[in-house]
Amino acid sequence: MIQAKRKTGLIFFPAYDWEISPTHPERQERLLYTQDQVLEEGLLDIKGIKEFKAGLAREEDINRAHFCVPDVNSRITHSHNISAGGCMEAARLVLEGVVEKAFALVRPPGHHAMRVVQGARGFCNINIEAVMVEWIRKNYPHIKKIAIVDTDCHHGDGSQDIYWHDPNVLYISMHQDGRTLYPGSGFTDEFGGPGALGLTLNVPLPPRTSDQGFLHAIENLILPVLDEFKPDLIVNSAGQDNHYSDPITHMAFTARGYARLNELLDPDICVLEGGYSIESALPYINTGIILALAGVDYSFVREPDLKPEELREEPGVMDYIKELCDSILDAWHRRNNHSLPNNQFVERNRRIYYDTDSISENQLETLRFCSNCPGAFKIDTQASTGYRALCVHIPHGACKACRRQGREWFDTVKAGYYAAYLQDMDNDEYQITIL
Amino acid sequence: MDTPSQHENFNHPREIGFAFHGAGADIGEKDSFRSGTKYPCTSLGCVAKSKKSCQEIKIALRESFVEIYAIKKNEESYMILGIDIGGTHTDAVCVKDNQIVATAKVITGENLVDSIVGAIQGLDMDYGVLKRVVLSTTLSTNAIIEKKYAATGMIVSAGPGVDPRNYFLSDDFHLIEGAIDHRGREYIPVRKDQILEVTEILKTNHVQGVGVISKFSVRNPSHEKTIHSLIADRFTYVSMGHRMSGSLNFPRRLHTTYFNTAVMPIQERFVRSVKDALKALGITTSILFLKADGGTYSSSAADRLPVETILSGPAASMMGGVALKKNSDTTLILDVGGTTTDIGILINGVPVLEPQGVCVGGLKTLVRGLKMLSVGAGGDSQVYISEGRLKVGPHRHGPPVCMGGPQPTPMDALCVLGEFETGDLNKAEQSLAPLARQMNKEIPELARAVVAELVETIKGACDGFIHEVNSYPVYTIHEMLHPDPVKPEQVMVIGGPAKTLKPYVEEMFQIKCLVPDHFQVANALGAALARTTAQITLLADTQLKRLICPELDVDMEIPAWYTINDLISFGNQAITDNARYLGLSDDIETDVIEQQSFNMIKDFNTTGKNLRVKIQSRPGIISGWSES
Repeated sequence: MIQAKRKTGLIFFPAYDWEISPTHPERQERLLYTQDQVLEEGLLDIKGIKEFKAGLAREEDINRAHFCVPDVNSRITHSHNISAGGCMEAARLVLEGVVEKAFALVRPPGHHAMRVVQGARGFCNINIEAVMVEWIRKNYPHIKKIAIVDTDCHHGDGSQDIYWHDPNVLYISMHQDGRTLYPGSGFTDEFGGPGALGLTLNVPLPPRTSDQGFLHAIENLILPVLDEFKPDLIVNSAGQDNHYSDPITHMAFTARGYARLNELLDPDICVLEGGYSIESALPYINTGIILALAGVDYSFVREPDLKPEELREEPGVMDYIKELCDSILDAWHRRNNHSLPNNQFVERNRRIYYDTDSISENQLETLRFCSNCPGAFKIDTQASTGYRALCVHIPHGACKACRRQGREWFDTVKAGYYAAYLQDMDNDEYQITIL
Repeated sequence: MDTPSQHENFNHPREIGFAFHGAGADIGEKDSFRSGTKYPCTSLGCVAKSKKSCQEIKIALRESFVEIYAIKKNEESYMILGIDIGGTHTDAVCVKDNQIVATAKVITGENLVDSIVGAIQGLDMDYGVLKRVVLSTTLSTNAIIEKKYAATGMIVSAGPGVDPRNYFLSDDFHLIEGAIDHRGREYIPVRKDQILEVTEILKTNHVQGVGVISKFSVRNPSHEKTIHSLIADRFTYVSMGHRMSGSLNFPRRLHTTYFNTAVMPIQERFVRSVKDALKALGITTSILFLKADGGTYSSSAADRLPVETILSGPAASMMGGVALKKNSDTTLILDVGGTTTDIGILINGVPVLEPQGVCVGGLKTLVRGLKMLSVGAGGDSQVYISEGRLKVGPHRHGPPVCMGGPQPTPMDALCVLGEFETGDLNKAEQSLAPLARQMNKEIPELARAVVAELVETIKGACDGFIHEVNSYPVYTIHEMLHPDPVKPEQVMVIGGPAKTLKPYVEEMFQIKCLVPDHFQVANALGAALARTTAQITLLADTQLKRLICPELDVDMEIPAWYTINDLISFGNQAITDNARYLGLSDDIETDVIEQQSFNMIKDFNTTGKNLRVKIQSRPGIISGWSES
């Protein structure tokens, strides 16, 4: 009989009673056929593969990763508690040694949710990986360095934002070039904040990239980078919208290709992100990923309509990808050779659009650049809903000066804001002052 | 406003006799996009249509359990015979007009038919008014475990995925081309020439029976039917996978179909012999067989699906427990045997089932059966000291010393305490003396400690068992937010030393303990009184305009506007119309135990609905029964 080489836990939460709207891709049916396929294949009967119940993320778990304006409960529904809770439970199973690998096959997704949450964007309300990562760092302090490899077809701008200034979390996103797809970002010059240069890496791939292209990027760029970064934990945001049959994207990945990606990347925790080809892709990709995680032969996994000849990249495309990967790897190697900012305070002005809710937001971020710690920062956020807030973040390992600065920003907030928010990571504190 | 049943997607991970989950409450939460909808009490999904309160429904059902089969002719006597063939003993019970009028116990011999005859003769009754005969046998279980069946072949079409050859059990398993997807759409056809080729190979190897299965046959049985049509006249015994169960799980379907085909000839021979033997005893009533889930079915259904009779022994005991308890509290049932104690749990009078199906011979199947745990702690378990602590089991080295056995057992302890008069008291005391010395206790004190340790070991297993039942994953937000953990309110102990264990059990479990009268024949009684049961699975895909019910081989066209209520009505009618085929008696009550409805969308337009329903005929014990 088949046996898994690695004990693998599956947290499956299809939220059969939740949807964004009855005809929206994020609806109850999304994981139905995946469940059918997983059940019919008998994957959960394989020795070493086991299904576990999801958990519930609470308000304090979400506040570690986000500033929800005006508050958490206004921005989420119960489905988000469970989706994030499923990821946390997956992490717990791995870190407690119950399993070696875990896959949170949950919905709704999260990687477009940024640190400040003024609404929902890209079908995401809260960033389920970030909530999980912060929960891990609070409860398992021996986990210091984490790598998030986001292989969803869309640039994970939310995850990038949350870890922009964080030198201990390496965020790598491999996605369809932003010039051709939502959210229109994720270019190679997005390289991380001044205190975390090189710890955000973007690989914008051209449309119609297939197995060969994706796997080349994994083998020649991502694996060498991970080798050097030496993370304590690898998380794969395993969005499945890069499949050739996905209705809203233009890539040509296959189920076996994704299984191979997983095999090479060898993540500890996988989290489902996007992927809306619910009949033709999700059932097969997820079968492939589960088998690959467990170390079971996946070579017979195949979509019914697979025609490999039709999916090959043109030769020029592969050259482009090779060159792209080389240049990113080179930039990674030279990440410490950049000049430091002249000023103590570094500002960033940004406009963010919440497409799911039709809200626009203006953010002015001020970072206290610090050579002793990642640096405290504040964000002045103003949304078209009318909410204006001041959000202050005191990072993990903050030095005394940054801590003082953060406190000062929070305590001396002037009128004109709905509220001031403070995240103090080392003390695991979250404060709100409503004005 | 839509009716609640159209909104409910419930899918019970703890597949018990009927739906029992969750608290019914007005949800009105903001993620309920139809906020304000009253979710009906999902603890009784069978009455999803009714608007009664939870409490009313519970009372009505409890009463109906007992009243449903009113004795039709009050003048005429109604007699039932129940026989349970166990590994060691065959027990028989005769119930007349709802009273136990005779019991018998014989040793199970090599020939099961002889054991049955011996037990019936032991009852020594006149069977003039016999209306119902139920047999619970170890025939199929033994045949499968001991691999004592004729050569059986399998023709398997699967397509891509996990390599099906991983699940093949012999060289008579053949893989052919053919693939169907999860929606039931064929994308690789089966080839007639290949099927005929494989048939010739199987004939050359002298296989008696052939099982036919394909992946996703419960979504589209056409491959199985095509293969079947080509081979049915070449082999005496043939089974098709989609008829075994409407549930998904191809490897389990493979093994279930294989075992079913393999034991068909054995069951056939057995039934013939039993019928002859019973006729000689003056019994011509048709026979019912007990199944793994505590329900019964007719002999003709058993001819078709003999695999469902596996593991009927524990089911018999559990149903005996149902018959012997008087309330509907959540009950742990402990059947204390010589080597093991079998643990099961009843909720509202119905046993909790293994969600996907039971295991037999080390292989997983789709056969509906009890969720049960067997712990190596019984009356004859080895008693010893390990690391300074007294331990009981898991091994058994023979009968108790007080009965001539080699090593001390809990029965020796009970003998010392005066609770086991048949045993030799001196021998019992001597067997415990060394242990008493080592533990620095007086012999009676040690004896009490042994019994307590036995019960504690059982309790530990029970805790794990209940924890597992309460940890099943759930797939809706409603169930995540409204968990309804199982918590036993009483323990029922049956089996040899039941009466003497009662105080220890109460002490250890801290809930009331029942030891019913007639607990020695609980198994035969359970068999005698178990209602006929069956389950059907229905799927309606309004985009493909197709309705399928695999167990009844229904595959028909439906209109695009078919609703979940249409499907449920159809299912209820189908199970009633096909009662005979399914092996059911005439008066049955049906329950919807699972219902789900999904919108299927393409490019932001609704293209149809994916509707899924599971309906069962309600299990339990036949009515009119009361304790004498």
